[in-house]
Amino acid sequence: MLFIGFSATAHHNGATYFDISTELEHSDATVVSYDLVNPHGRLVYVFMDDEGNEVEWRAELPSANNARRRGLGGDLFRPGDRLTALTGSPSRSGANFMRLTRVLFANGDVAQITGRNAGVVRAGTE
Amino acid sequence: MNPVGRIGLIVTVTAVAIHFTGVAYAQADFEGIWNPQHPPRMGQPDPASVRLTPEGQAEYESYGPDKDPTLRCLMPGIPLGLVDPYPLEIVQQDHQILLLYEHFHQVRRIFMDGREAPDHWLPSIGGYSTGHWEGETLVVRTTLMSPDNYTWTNGFPYSGDEDAYVIERYRRDGDELTFTGEVHDPRYYEEPYVVNGRWNFAPDGEIWEYECIPEFGGIQ
Repeated sequence: MLFIGFSATAHHNGATYFDISTELEHSDATVVSYDLVNPHGRLVYVFMDDEGNEVEWRAELPSANNARRRGLGGDLFRPGDRLTALTGSPSRSGANFMRLTRVLFANGDVAQITGRNAGVVRAGTE
Repeated sequence: MNPVGRIGLIVTVTAVAIHFTGVAYAQADFEGIWNPQHPPRMGQPDPASVRLTPEGQAEYESYGPDKDPTLRCLMPGIPLGLVDPYPLEIVQQDHQILLLYEHFHQVRRIFMDGREAPDHWLPSIGGYSTGHWEGETLVVRTTLMSPDNYTWTNGFPYSGDEDAYVIERYRRDGDELTFTGEVHDPRYYEEPYVVNGRWNFAPDGEIWEYECIPEFGGIQ
């Protein structure tokens, strides 16, 4: 698990429930499930922690309506997909839960989940 | 009747007709779909600048995610739903202006015909809204809002007291609609809580369905 600096863009109630002053990154994850619904989308994934144990985390996405308007559709993730890296702000509750901000896919595509530049950038088109 | 007398009669009859119909004719055209382009923090003030009373501060500090109605798929109402990151459709009729929010399918009726809230009207999550024009500015006053509500999702409270109310001012400049909302709640705030909003006219905009599933509130 890697903590990196983060300059947050204020968005709705994010700071109330997540520590948007920091970010954490999970590497080499596998998608368990993905539901793009209102009031928030949810991604469930597993990865190996520093001790070599498989751990399950949940990640919050924007609402289905706002995500779809930015090209982040219901087919963004499928069970079994390999994700190179996920970045987000940790829940203040201490649970295995974060507010997802960015995803790097195995094929090099990048999904920016939050902020005014949210959307998918295909590998090689940046 | 001479011409002057005839004109005077016409003016008088027209004035009487307007008085008795109570219709406030639109001074500006807000009709259509508007996409949100709100200022940072969704137009909410810097939390450090909000002056809460001691009772308001205690209420603020007792807030928790489980109290956020929107995470339980409950309509935000007023004042919580004054601004949101979704399109808004405005329908103007002579006797009322309809604010049709995509967010939670919230519908607000702004009565423009001079009526006041009837005695039987119970406090509700959206309250009772009346409006009038001040030049090209639409001024909306909302009362009778439920105490089971908040001013903002970070826990800023709303009392629902009888002397609490919200004043909104909307103004159109070209394709931009700007808004200022003042939450007057003397039990919880030393001075009115002020929020700002901005929308861009979207003639090709769409209002989508907003089905909401509480299990995905995502607060744990």
